[in-house]
Amino acid sequence: MTKRLLMIDDDPDFVAGIKSILDSAGEFEVDVAYNPKDGLKALQTREYDLLLLDIMMGRGAEGVMIARKLRKDPKLREMPVLIITGMREQIAFLFPGEPIHPRFVEVDELVEKPVEPKLLLEKVKSLIKTAEARKVNP
Amino acid sequence: MDTKSRILLIDDEEVVRDSCEQILAGGPYEIASASDGVAGLRLVEEFHQNLIFVDLKMPGISGFEVLEKISAMDPTIVMVVITGFATVSSAVDAMKRGAYDFLPKPFTPEEFRLITRRGLEKRRLTLETIALRREKEMLREHFAHIVSHELKAPLSAIQQNLFALEFELTRDLTPAQKEKFDRTKVRMDELLQMINSWLKVISADIGKLKEGFKQVSVKGEISHAIETVQPIAARKDVEIVTTIDEDLSPILGDGLSLTEVFVNLLGNAIKYSRDGGRITVTAKAEGGEDVISFKDEGIGISPDELPHIFEGFYRGKGGQEAASGHGIGLAVSRQIVEAHTGTIQVESEPGKGSTFSVRLPKLKLGEPV
Repeated sequence: MTKRLLMIDDDPDFVAGIKSILDSAGEFEVDVAYNPKDGLKALQTREYDLLLLDIMMGRGAEGVMIARKLRKDPKLREMPVLIITGMREQIAFLFPGEPIHPRFVEVDELVEKPVEPKLLLEKVKSLIKTAEARKVNP
Repeated sequence: MDTKSRILLIDDEEVVRDSCEQILAGGPYEIASASDGVAGLRLVEEFHQNLIFVDLKMPGISGFEVLEKISAMDPTIVMVVITGFATVSSAVDAMKRGAYDFLPKPFTPEEFRLITRRGLEKRRLTLETIALRREKEMLREHFAHIVSHELKAPLSAIQQNLFALEFELTRDLTPAQKEKFDRTKVRMDELLQMINSWLKVISADIGKLKEGFKQVSVKGEISHAIETVQPIAARKDVEIVTTIDEDLSPILGDGLSLTEVFVNLLGNAIKYSRDGGRITVTAKAEGGEDVISFKDEGIGISPDELPHIFEGFYRGKGGQEAASGHGIGLAVSRQIVEAHTGTIQVESEPGKGSTFSVRLPKLKLGEPV
């Protein structure tokens, strides 16, 4: 069954690169929002199996704000989030304790831009699978 | 905040304190006074003064001592010495202990007003300089973040599209086309890695580099660096000859940064080599260190340029022209090497070539890895 993904990232060229990899895998339908506002709106209007989220957007780390909102929303709390960021080192301070694990917003995974197709598909598939298992067997 | 300048008088003579207060009365000043060094020092801590007058000859602790103690508390405080025994040597002594100026007794009201204004002006300039320096530091940090976003974002987008293109074409690619993809991807990846390492250095957080230290084979990093620059060397028909000791020991460090240092040094060696020239890379264990040297037979560096070539990004006065040819690469290299508690040195003879030597301390047995 086709999985529905939402990508929120303000760099259209980067999005194009990710989207075409996901498209050619043939298992996903990908919606895109190019700013946090459109992204939040999309999340309220459609149901998604996974969110691909950029961190540095607009005036700062607005992706963090989105992730925080999601985790407070009873409807969206369980949705898996894959953070795709170019600033892993720079945003490390947002992740207290371990440098990489984004515990502070409890997102599921974090990969660095640019991301190899194999790694991207692997992460996307495994996150969706884990989330589904969680739904069946909470 | 009030706009009055706060002035502290430390003098044992009541008549001096009173007359000073009278001279400044009516002006935009707030004045506090102390009759000995101990009371004065206590006031310094709470009065937030812009300027302090200190009498040199007082009972109890001497004016010199007061100057020294205040300087130690805050070297930016401006102090003017008042004394009835004005000699050149005591003036020099006072200056050495942090005094800004000297006022011999007796003085006219006009002299006192003048020196007060000058002292306050000095204080203002000192604070301004500090603020400017702070701003410069912040700019540097911001610069690092701007660079990271502005350079990395387009590179990531390019690389991501390249990934996508290859992924989609993968079955139709001939081996030669595949090789071109690989070449491009590797170079792009190196570029991104380089920006990352530069960022680490520019943001002056060498500590972060150290957090990731592990056991590194110097030999491996040298080979990797040579591999990286080989295509550039080939274009100039430059030969790279290596002599690497087998007993080279592993060191504690960051492999990627060290490779970057070697790539940098090799890159410069190639750049300043003549076509068809030769570069000799030697690595050997010497005492407690691994010594890696890169010798070229190129144009060399003139003696007056030599002291400046590692300044790069942080170059001082007059260094700008001298260092421009080397960009920030050598400065970054030096910082990386120093983060490894190593040293980097250069010897050069114009027309004959240069030798850059990197010394890295060996990983000691039993040292945590």
